[in-house]
Amino acid sequence: MDLANNIQNINNPVLLDYLNTKILTNDPFKKPFVENYKYAQLNKHINIDFKASTFEIPKSLLDISFEISSQPHPEVDLLETIQNWNFHNSDSIFRVGSLVNRKSIQINLDNFKENILLLDLNKIQNNIQIEASPSSSKVLIIYNANRNQEVPQSIFINSSKQSNLEIVHFDLSNKKSFLYFQSILETGSSLNFTSIQYFNNHTRNEFYASLDSECNFSLHGLNYDNKGLNDNYSFIQHLKPSSSSREIFKSIISDGAITNFQGKIYVDAIAQKTDGYQMSRSLLLDSHSKANNKPELEIYADDVKCSHGSTVSKINQDQLYYFNSRGISTEIAKIILKKAFLMEVLNSIRDTQVKELSINLIDSLLNGH
Amino acid sequence: MLEIKNLHVSMEGKKILKGLDLKINQGEVHALMGPNGSGKSTLSYVLSGKEGYDIEEGSITYKNKNLLDLEVDERANEGLFLAFQYPMEIPGVQTSFFLRTAINSKRKYLGKPEIDSLEFAKSMRGVAEKLSISSEMLKRDLNVNYSGGEKKKQEILQMSMLNPDMAILDETDSGLDIDALRIVSEGVNNLRNNNNSFLVITHYQRLLNYIKPDFVHIIADGKIVKSGDYSLALELEEKGYENLAFNK
Repeated sequence: MDLANNIQNINNPVLLDYLNTKILTNDPFKKPFVENYKYAQLNKHINIDFKASTFEIPKSLLDISFEISSQPHPEVDLLETIQNWNFHNSDSIFRVGSLVNRKSIQINLDNFKENILLLDLNKIQNNIQIEASPSSSKVLIIYNANRNQEVPQSIFINSSKQSNLEIVHFDLSNKKSFLYFQSILETGSSLNFTSIQYFNNHTRNEFYASLDSECNFSLHGLNYDNKGLNDNYSFIQHLKPSSSSREIFKSIISDGAITNFQGKIYVDAIAQKTDGYQMSRSLLLDSHSKANNKPELEIYADDVKCSHGSTVSKINQDQLYYFNSRGISTEIAKIILKKAFLMEVLNSIRDTQVKELSINLIDSLLNGH
Repeated sequence: MLEIKNLHVSMEGKKILKGLDLKINQGEVHALMGPNGSGKSTLSYVLSGKEGYDIEEGSITYKNKNLLDLEVDERANEGLFLAFQYPMEIPGVQTSFFLRTAINSKRKYLGKPEIDSLEFAKSMRGVAEKLSISSEMLKRDLNVNYSGGEKKKQEILQMSMLNPDMAILDETDSGLDIDALRIVSEGVNNLRNNNNSFLVITHYQRLLNYIKPDFVHIIADGKIVKSGDYSLALELEEKGYENLAFNK
């Protein structure tokens, strides 16, 4: 209880909310095994004050500092764009955001006859609990363009047996953005979560997923043009046999920004036939930007398939030359190559309509109109 | 069309071209043959404008302009095309999209409006069919997981669609089987007319059975050592580079 008391003494309401949701909820995740020391947190080595952290910063990293400033707005207004999205069948759409103005919201997807739900986080500030009922199949779009605000968000998902849920999460233009994502997948359920983060001024994302047997979990992250630090941590645990997880993070970094990715796949001793995949790729646009990737596997079962990979690269000069040699200018070639790099994440959106709208949105962001 | 005078080129301090002269007029097909390391590919890269080569001496005039003043994309839009020996793989970019972007870049450069998408699709399918390129392949990522032959056909498809004034084929025949060689050669022959010119770079006389050149040049140690007509290629096949190029 000391911990709980200490947290309540914190004055910062934003931080308080964040910690309350993160630490004081009944955490279903197993404590890591004795190999703890191997799993140093990447974000603890960066000189960014997320206030919750009390760690010593290695001297060599002290020269990295960021100034948090008011950003000019990007030319594309995400809020307006998504609010004006046209769906083929408007009867299947429900815009939750226009009705609710609360800090915390519980959504039982069973209560909606519509297939696609849109949640505007400008109105529902932070805590969302989602219940995907058995055998249901829904798409949820959560978007947040809370200009120059510190926005903590927590998303808790309970995917009931045989349920099928897809969530596409957009996050843009925040002063600081925190996302805490936790999902429990029951037997036979499927959850596809795609997070698109653009033009934020520091982001910190934590993704936790716990999988029962025969589940499918996909987690995809797209980071583009974020300033300062974009920090991602994921922990996916396979607790029962025959589940699969697929994780892809793509980041395009510029202007001295830093991206971190640290992801762990944990496979319990009884979780045989697990199929896990994890990939993080970063594209650096200049020499003073940085990418740190730390993939981790912790496997206690012997009949599993788990792979992970990580790449950091810059724009391929030979590819640029090939574009140029066909008359395509360097400027246009770079836009095409950046989009090509991000397409893997966008292609993972299963709903074809939402996928198309998301691709168009990214297109207009990349083209700056 | 293209005139190269006394061209000296080095790369990372190593001299590769040592006083190369070549003149190609409108409507002519020239073949450039030579042993490995003689500077054939370097010449094609220098013409297309690839970075990393130092032009130490000499001049290249293309359509009465100083070619060396133009950027890579400007050269392409001025009608210069290089079919690569090793075309780049571009993951995530659909072949047809790449092609349409290239065509529209050229049209923009020439002050024309963008190509109508139906018209584009129709003409692309037509050319692709002649080259035995399936429509499924046009939807795939450019050159990704293509076989050697498919990549070369892709280059010829791009060349046919962009309809260049001066095309350079850098060892397009390498890695091709007999059928693909025939198809690729037909692609080139279909494009050939009195207004455009070709420089066909190859090791082997075999390609020239299909694409009949007006002139044949032999390059050795960075310069052209012998020029002639088609019979020179036959002579070369018989005697080999050692005897012919170095006059032993």
